[in-house]
Amino acid sequence: MFGEDDLVKSHQDRAEVILNIIVISFAILLARLWYLQIYHGKMLFNYSLENRLRKDVVRAPRGMIFSRNNILLTHNVPRFDAIITPQYLEGDDETISYLGKVLEMTPDSISKTLKRYQGQAKYLPIVIKKNISRREVAIIETETARLPGVSVETFISREYTDKDTGGHLLGYISEISQEKIPRLRERDKYDYKQGDFIGQAGIEQQYDLEIRGEDGYQFMEVDAKGRARRHVTSDDLYSGVDNRAAKPGKNVRLTIDRDVQLAAYHALDGKDGAAVALDIDSGEVIAMVSRPGFDPANFSTGLSSNYWGQLVMDEKRPLRDRVIQEHYSPGSTFKTLTHIAALEERVIDENTRVVCNGGYRMGGRVFHCWKKEGHGVVDVVKALRESCDVFYYSIGNKIDIDVIYKYATLFGLGQRSGIVLPRETPGLIPNKDWKKKRTGIEWQKGETLSCVIGQSFINVTPLQLAMFYGTLANEGKLWRPHVVKEVFSNSGQVLKRIEPELINQFKISRKTLDLVKQSLFEVVNQPGGTATSQKGSGIQMAGKTGTAQVVSFSADKIFNKCENQEYKYRHHGLFAAYAPAGNPKIAVAVVVEHGCHGGSAAGPVAKAIVSAYMNKYFPNYQKKILAQEQAKMNYAQIMEDNRANPVPMIMETNVKEYYDETGKLTRNYSLEKNGSAQSGPVE
Amino acid sequence: MFNFREELKRYDYSFFGICTAIFVIGILNLYSATHSQGIGHEEGLYKTQLLWFVLSWIVGIVVSFIQPKNYFRLAYPSYLVSVILLIVVLVVGHSALGGQRWIGFGPVRFQPSEVTKIAMVFVLARWYSKASPDQEIGFRELIIPFIITIIPAMMIIIQPDLGTGMLVVIIFFIITFYRKLKWKTIMILAVFGLIGATVVYNFGLREYQKKRITTFIDPEFDAKGSGYNAIQSKIAIGSGQFFGKGFRRSSQGALNYLPENHTDFIFAIFNEEHGFVGSMFLIALYFALFYRLIWLASNVNKIFDSVVVIGVLAIFFAHTIINMSMVSGLMPIVGVPLPLMSYGGSNLLTFGICCGIVTSISNARSLF
Repeated sequence: MFGEDDLVKSHQDRAEVILNIIVISFAILLARLWYLQIYHGKMLFNYSLENRLRKDVVRAPRGMIFSRNNILLTHNVPRFDAIITPQYLEGDDETISYLGKVLEMTPDSISKTLKRYQGQAKYLPIVIKKNISRREVAIIETETARLPGVSVETFISREYTDKDTGGHLLGYISEISQEKIPRLRERDKYDYKQGDFIGQAGIEQQYDLEIRGEDGYQFMEVDAKGRARRHVTSDDLYSGVDNRAAKPGKNVRLTIDRDVQLAAYHALDGKDGAAVALDIDSGEVIAMVSRPGFDPANFSTGLSSNYWGQLVMDEKRPLRDRVIQEHYSPGSTFKTLTHIAALEERVIDENTRVVCNGGYRMGGRVFHCWKKEGHGVVDVVKALRESCDVFYYSIGNKIDIDVIYKYATLFGLGQRSGIVLPRETPGLIPNKDWKKKRTGIEWQKGETLSCVIGQSFINVTPLQLAMFYGTLANEGKLWRPHVVKEVFSNSGQVLKRIEPELINQFKISRKTLDLVKQSLFEVVNQPGGTATSQKGSGIQMAGKTGTAQVVSFSADKIFNKCENQEYKYRHHGLFAAYAPAGNPKIAVAVVVEHGCHGGSAAGPVAKAIVSAYMNKYFPNYQKKILAQEQAKMNYAQIMEDNRANPVPMIMETNVKEYYDETGKLTRNYSLEKNGSAQSGPVE
Repeated sequence: MFNFREELKRYDYSFFGICTAIFVIGILNLYSATHSQGIGHEEGLYKTQLLWFVLSWIVGIVVSFIQPKNYFRLAYPSYLVSVILLIVVLVVGHSALGGQRWIGFGPVRFQPSEVTKIAMVFVLARWYSKASPDQEIGFRELIIPFIITIIPAMMIIIQPDLGTGMLVVIIFFIITFYRKLKWKTIMILAVFGLIGATVVYNFGLREYQKKRITTFIDPEFDAKGSGYNAIQSKIAIGSGQFFGKGFRRSSQGALNYLPENHTDFIFAIFNEEHGFVGSMFLIALYFALFYRLIWLASNVNKIFDSVVVIGVLAIFFAHTIINMSMVSGLMPIVGVPLPLMSYGGSNLLTFGICCGIVTSISNARSLF
């Protein structure tokens, strides 16, 4: 090769430029080091010795939850923690033993807590005791000389206007557990830290990301003992230090009406069970109550292990939301479905008559009617009105379980409703495939007979039951139930509105609807009906009672009085209804565990819910109902009257609340003169 | 043929010598920075680093006995291998700090972008020594080297590791500048680059996109409260004053004020303990290394060798100046380690191999 030496040499001027760049870069760097180490050296040296930055978390106020009429259901309440910042801790043993005395803790337990966080940066605070009293706060804040490194941190806890009334629905917040932090960070793309609170059930969990807001932070310049000296802003020395303001959480407006909710709650006083009410034209949940409950406020203040243990060990499982997380045999409330299926499939028609002698023989077995002496001649209306089991056994003998399955599924039974709340259970509607897969045994004809009266494998949630009756009332529209109307910012701007959503829509023949609706009206409003005692006034309920066996009794015990059984063996009482019968607006389902009878145990709860709702939102229409009651109209006459003299059903917008902020009933919502079924303290 | 005694007589000890000196300072500093942290796994870090040093130097010395003409032959295969490794890391890599940067071989973890740096030097040197090496470089001559660079650079950036990706681009520019990139071209590139970046940043991006860029540069940046590290780093450096606080006397590090003080922020701890005097001494050592490399680049016989030496210089220099600038607050914080000082195995190995390469080139020089 020739001249390659020269070629390299020809690049020498470029090499010199690079050398110059290196020299200049290092010169600039040395100038910078000079500026920091010599020019500002003394000052920065002092900073490193005495002046430290402390990063304080500024907790974002959690968003609020409102009722449909803007009644505040939650409150943020400040609480205080005692914390230690290890780098400022001095005279360890002495300080800790004095702190132990102030907080009524053993010094050992404090040392143990400190040891646990030894690995983390020493300027990060460690929580020693949660939720300390005002007296303890005062001592710590005044005795800083004896407690170097100890300080008080404020955080926000959550209280609920109506205590356990909405416990299941609203949920609760509690401190995030350390093991879960990495997983939740991944899931929510949110920088959770130790000490954060997170929604753990109900709305608080489901809408946590919207409600929680975003914590900010504030840098404090503190002295060598950890005492705050000033807020740090981005001036020359601290250029690049960014404080961040907390972003308050968004607010949630529910579809729940607080009055109806409280009416339902009080109607369940002394009972275990669930009640739910739906707007049949949108799927909005108007009330949703499960009892026994718990006061969700306890979770955000650092739950005492005692209370927690009590909740978890309680046989009645108060933490479970019975409206969506528990399923029950629907009992006779399911006969309405069998009835619809049989009419639609022409297994029966308006002329069908069955004689009930109190039992029905199939194969070698007798299926009993609940009425030992029998119902005599039963037609299609009387069957449902008086809940004659034998009539349905005769249907069960002719109908295929897969047909029942098809209709139950249309009405939303046996499947998750998709309500936006955690841990919903699907319930169960069996069919032949399911049984074969599940047990390996073919479907037995006798099982159909149990299923058509809502026993055996069939299980539904109270919510599904309300959806079913709502879909019957609105004649074929199955709405997705929802509890949140909208999410809005503090300035009132609506950020998200939840629109009604149809799950499915189907046709039911006019004749079927008329027959079934007439029967359900007569259940409540005509002598012989199983729930005539729940007729009430101005509510025009149409519904169906049900009892669900908790255990199956041997033949000789079947007719024993339920109330004489041991509590846990008593039947559950159910009632599902819609109202007003002539112009339906609301659907209700109630389960009273071990209530023995649907009519007398669950009926009053439904009546209280419908009364409160009608009285609050449709006082004008109630006049029409009262007139129809006055005239003792039967179902056909009511429908005729509604056609001839229609009164528009306009929802009252300018409503007044019945319950005041302390939960006291201020007005009577029941139109009944003797007021026997109303609940809550009335003056 | 191979006369070992002759080889040793010719052997250029300067590169390994200077680097060993810097490393000795580095390991003492690393020991000092980690000794008092009370976190079990950090206390023994200097031992791990020492092991990596021995391994890196063995590999480096082996490399120093390779004939430089083999680098020429190895250029394209090594480039291909590095691109394949980058693909592999994107598919099956381990993630650290939100990015897929590592491949694991049993207990050893390995960062393919390190291979890329060396492969880039070889492949660019080969291209520039073959494609009319006696001419200046304009836009047309820039096209292919730019494509060669941008493929691995983009793959590193989407890991995401913007710091290393930018480093590869900087190495490309230094090498190309040395190979006589026309001044006119440089001016045009600079003007357009500046205007383009300003326009895009100010008008083309929404507020949240700008924020995304800053968090993209360093995912931890925002989570820890923006300038917290930067301010603590400045306090550490400044508090060292003229003579420093003394060995093992760093308070900023000991209190864990300064996170990552054994990797990216090691220079701050060094300054806190040894002051302005110490950093002058350290910078002098780095300068000696760079000066020696520039001298070597002008005194070899082959243009390929010369460009390789400048490439190695670019690797060392870019790391050094970026790290020192960000730690002392002259630049935003991007995760680039300080050569031979920061804790980290694959890094040390890269610099060991770089030393071997330039030593072998220096040794070959006196054959003629």
